[in-house]
Order: sequence, then structure tokens, then C-alpha cells
Amino acid sequence: MHPFIKHCLFAFVVVLLASCTSAPQSAKPRIALVMKSLANEFFKTMQDGATAHQQTHAAEYELIANGIKDELDVARQVEIVEQMIAQQVNAIVIAPADSKALVAVCQRAQAAGIVVINIDNKLDAAVLAERNLRIPFVGPDNRKGARLAGEALAKQLKAGDQVAILEGVPTAFNAQQRKAGFEDAMKVAGMNIVSSQSASWETAKANQIAAALLVEKPELKAILCANDSMALGTVAAIKAAGKAGQIRVIGFDNIQAVRQLLKDGQVLATVDQHGDKLAVYGIEYALEVLKTKTVPADKETAVDLVTKEVLATN
Amino acid sequence: MKQSTIAASPNRTAAWHSILLQYAGLLFALVLLVIAFSFKTNHFFSLTTLHTISNQIPDAVLLAVGMTLVMIVGGIDLSVGSVMALSGAVLGVCLVQWHWPLLPALAACLLTGGVCGLVNGLITVRWKLPSFIVTLGMLEVARGAAYLITKSQTMYIGASVERISSASLWGLSLPFACAIVAVIVAQFALTRMVWGRYAMAVGANEDAVRYAGINPRPIKVAAFTLSGLLAACAAVLQCARLSSADPNAGTGAELQAIAACVIGGTSLLGGRGSIISTFFGVLLIAVLGAGLAQIGAQEPTRRIVTGCVILAAVILDVYRARLASEK
Repeated sequence: MHPFIKHCLFAFVVVLLASCTSAPQSAKPRIALVMKSLANEFFKTMQDGATAHQQTHAAEYELIANGIKDELDVARQVEIVEQMIAQQVNAIVIAPADSKALVAVCQRAQAAGIVVINIDNKLDAAVLAERNLRIPFVGPDNRKGARLAGEALAKQLKAGDQVAILEGVPTAFNAQQRKAGFEDAMKVAGMNIVSSQSASWETAKANQIAAALLVEKPELKAILCANDSMALGTVAAIKAAGKAGQIRVIGFDNIQAVRQLLKDGQVLATVDQHGDKLAVYGIEYALEVLKTKTVPADKETAVDLVTKEVLATN
Repeated sequence: MKQSTIAASPNRTAAWHSILLQYAGLLFALVLLVIAFSFKTNHFFSLTTLHTISNQIPDAVLLAVGMTLVMIVGGIDLSVGSVMALSGAVLGVCLVQWHWPLLPALAACLLTGGVCGLVNGLITVRWKLPSFIVTLGMLEVARGAAYLITKSQTMYIGASVERISSASLWGLSLPFACAIVAVIVAQFALTRMVWGRYAMAVGANEDAVRYAGINPRPIKVAAFTLSGLLAACAAVLQCARLSSADPNAGTGAELQAIAACVIGGTSLLGGRGSIISTFFGVLLIAVLGAGLAQIGAQEPTRRIVTGCVILAAVILDVYRARLASEK
């Protein structure tokens, strides 16, 4: 055997042994956080919030945080959950990349005696019922949030005005919910939804579609965006078309980049679902369940409308 | 004087014919698309549409020009989208977090792109690796670096970069003028300069070039570096257009750039390609995107139609090439 390979093998074995023996078997519950794409600002914020929470509550639990490369990497997320089962953690708090494909592995985790808490993207109710499973969901009502923003917008418009919706990735549950929430608010106020298209949550794509919409629908009065990144692209398209101030924009998520636009009035409203706390809510709920050993119910967390006025008071 | 112009004219008309024939297929496809969309929608055939398209395409054009250069020397650059995101992120960080003035920030942005391209080129040449793999590595590295320096957050830059997109040059918007200049310069370099001729030769037969006593390595490295640099220029234009730097920018942009090149008849095996045809390729994709959005097509339809148009354009090009070679 080549000496270099020998050295490598030796080092590998040493590391392996060290990692086996040094794993501390403490009494503290170990909680695994399984996230979606850490490339996405929203999930990064969520995880940072969880890490910060763990540091201030270090005596109460241990945290193992994991994420996948992008939101579509479902297979990798299943693998991570399986590794967490093998690790024999006490609880798994998961933001599923797919509301159906992750159900089976969550069931395996439950069968292994692990408390599973679902955050962010709700697991499919029909699939859960079919497998006779109960996994509590802790999170915001996206439909309600979108309705709030839609209602704030409707106050600025007249009944019968033309509006358009920019949707997120059509297969994502929260994208569907936000679209539904926008539609609820627009229907109640009697607005005319003339177009509803997906811009895949992306700034550049939203920019392209909004620009085309502005040409095709000259009477358009507002564009409702299912997230703030798309609102950024839409605002840029409106400016490029020379229609600044004539067309209202609303977003969702309350990201840092949209604050200035809210202050300038270029974005009318966005919705804060307290992304930094979403994972924390899930972790706290998991700790509670571990302590009380009850069969938990779903738990709804807060969604708040953010406008220029709200920013001014904070 | 007069005689010489008359003598030159048949030659010139022949040259014009061959140029027309070269771009005829693409023009035909483009006109077909415009006609189809004009029938389907109310406001497609208008100056405003033209204006929005000219607003949208400059970054895509720059990426595709870089891609064409790399493909001509027989390589491929999968990292352009990520390099664009990283360069844009550098621009954003310099302006927003470090409060640099615009010019040094632009320099840092372009340097980032150029260095990424240079590294692609040097690794490909030094270890004789397929550029597909090398640039795939760079795709990951640059994307990761973009997330790292922006902390995965979209940065709102605002007025300081908007100046770039609102400025105008010869009656065109500055970004569009940049794109046109890039197309003309690259086409000139490719067809009229020594480097360009060598680049074509390297793509067609690298060994023959080496036997002829010319070192193909600097030529290849230059192509990759230019591609990185153009990706950084694209980043500047995109940031200016969107007033913000998005670490997720340009996801999948490499595939769109490759599609534009292939529609324009650039060979995936190297040695053949034209920047002007690539420009038409970008235009075709942009017109398609604008038209489908104006119709209000849903995601599945949009993807299927885009795919079909790319295939149709390439098949059309085969017949165009056959016609050209028969003449």
C-alpha cells in the first residue's frame, strides 16, 4: 500500500474512534432542527434565531441544526431525517421541503419514539390522515397574512380596479396559501384580478413578468407579490416603465431590503411572520411535549401587517 | 473613383447575401414569434414592449457573449450565473456596508468576476481538465461565497446604482448601449483580430494549432477570463436594474446563456460561432419570455413552450446551414 494512503487511512480511523468515544451522553434533551434551503434569507434568519435561542437556554437542550442546498433537494432532506433517527435525538423540528414526500420518514421517526414537530410548510393533511398520523404543526397562517396585506391594499383602491398577483413556486403550500389570501381580500373588496402568474419567488423573474404586465394591462392599479424579493423586482419594473407612484405594490416576509421601499411608499405593505422566531416556537413546543408527554395539537403563531406607519412607531 | 465603386458592388451584394442568409433563420423565427404574440395579445406589438425588452436583455446578452467566446475555444462555462451573483454581492457589500464610492466598488466587482474567470481558465489549462467540471466547481464556490458575504440576504442598494440604469448614451439606455458595444467589439475581435482567429482555430483543432507553433493556452485562459469579466459587467447591470443585489441572482442563467448560443448556431464542440447570432438567440428568448408573460401563461405552459421554441430554432438552423452550403 502506498504510504500516503496508509497515513490517510490511519488518520481516518483515529478521527472515527475519537468521534465515537467523545459523544457526550448528557441528560439534556437533544433536538434536531431540519431546515429547508439555508441559501434562502428567510430560513437563514429562522436558523440564526434558533441558534441564538439555544445559546441562552444552553442548560435546557442541545441543538443539531441541518439544512439542504436548495428547496428542491427533497431526497437530501429525507437522508438528514434518517441520520437524525440514527443519532437517536429526542425531538425533530422540521420545515419539510415537500409536504407529501417527507411524511413517510417523519412517520419512521415517530415510530422510533422521537417527538416530531412540523414548522413552516405544513405536511399534507390528506396524506397524514391516510397513514393515521398526527404531527403537530406550529406556524403562521399564510392565508391570513396575505389577506391582511390585501385588505390594507384594498383601502387604497376603488372597487373594480385591475390588480395582478405574482405567485411563488406553484407547488409550495405557502405559495398557494398566500395566493388564496390575496384572492380572498380582492374578492371581498370587489377588485378585478386580471392576471396571476408565478415568478418563482425570484427578483429578476418578477421584474421580467411585472414589466410585461405593465405593457399588456395599462389600466393596472396594483401588483400583489407573494414575497418581498418579488416585490423588489416589481418596484424596479414600475420605475423603469415610468409609472412610479401610480401602481401599488404589496409584499410578504418583511425582509431587510424592503424596509427603505416601505418608508418611501414604493411598497405599501408587507407581512411579518416573525421568521426569526418560527424555529424557536417549534423548539419550545417540542420541549413542552417532551416534558408533559401529551399528544399535541397544532399551534398558530402570529402574523402582523407591516406598513410605513408600523415602521415609524417601532 | 466611380469605377472602383461599381467594380466593388457585385462583390458587396454577394457579401450582403451571405450575411442575410446567415441570420435569416433566426430573423424568421423572431418575426414568427412577434407575429404570433401580436395576435394573441392587445399590446405586444408596441414601442413599450420593445422598450421593456431592451431593458431586460443587457445582462443576458453579456453572459451569452462570454459563453460564446468560451464555447468557441471548445469549452463551456457553467459558472456564469454564480459568478454574476458573487460579483453583484461584492458590489452590494462595497456600497452598502463599506460605504465605498461607486467607482472603486465597480472596480472590485469587475475584479471579482475577472479573477473567477481567470481561475477557471488556469485550472482548465494547467491540469488539462474538462472545463465542464472545473466551472461546475466554480459554480458551487462562487454561489457559496455570494451567500457568505451577503449573509444570504438580498441587499437593497438604491440610488447609487440606479444612476447606471437611468443614464443614456446615444439615445439608448446605458445598459443597452453596453450590451451593443460588447456584441460589436466581441464580433470584431472574433472575426478581424488575430486572437479571434486563433480562438476559432483552437476550438476547431487544438493540436493543429500547437503544431503550427502557436501556444493555445493563453488563448483559452483569455476566453474564460473574459467570460468572468462579462459576468461581472452583467452583475452591475442587473443590480442597477433591480436596485438590489440578490445572492440567488442568476440561478440557471448559465443554461439560458448556453441556449442562446446554441440557438445562434454556436457549436458545442467549439470552432464555430458568431456573437451577432448569439445576440439574436438572446433576443428570441427575451421576446418569448415577454410574450408569454403578457399572455399570462402559467409555469407549465411557459416551460413547455420555451423548450419547444429552442428546439424549433435549432432545427430551423440546420436547414439554414444546408441552404448556405449548397450555394
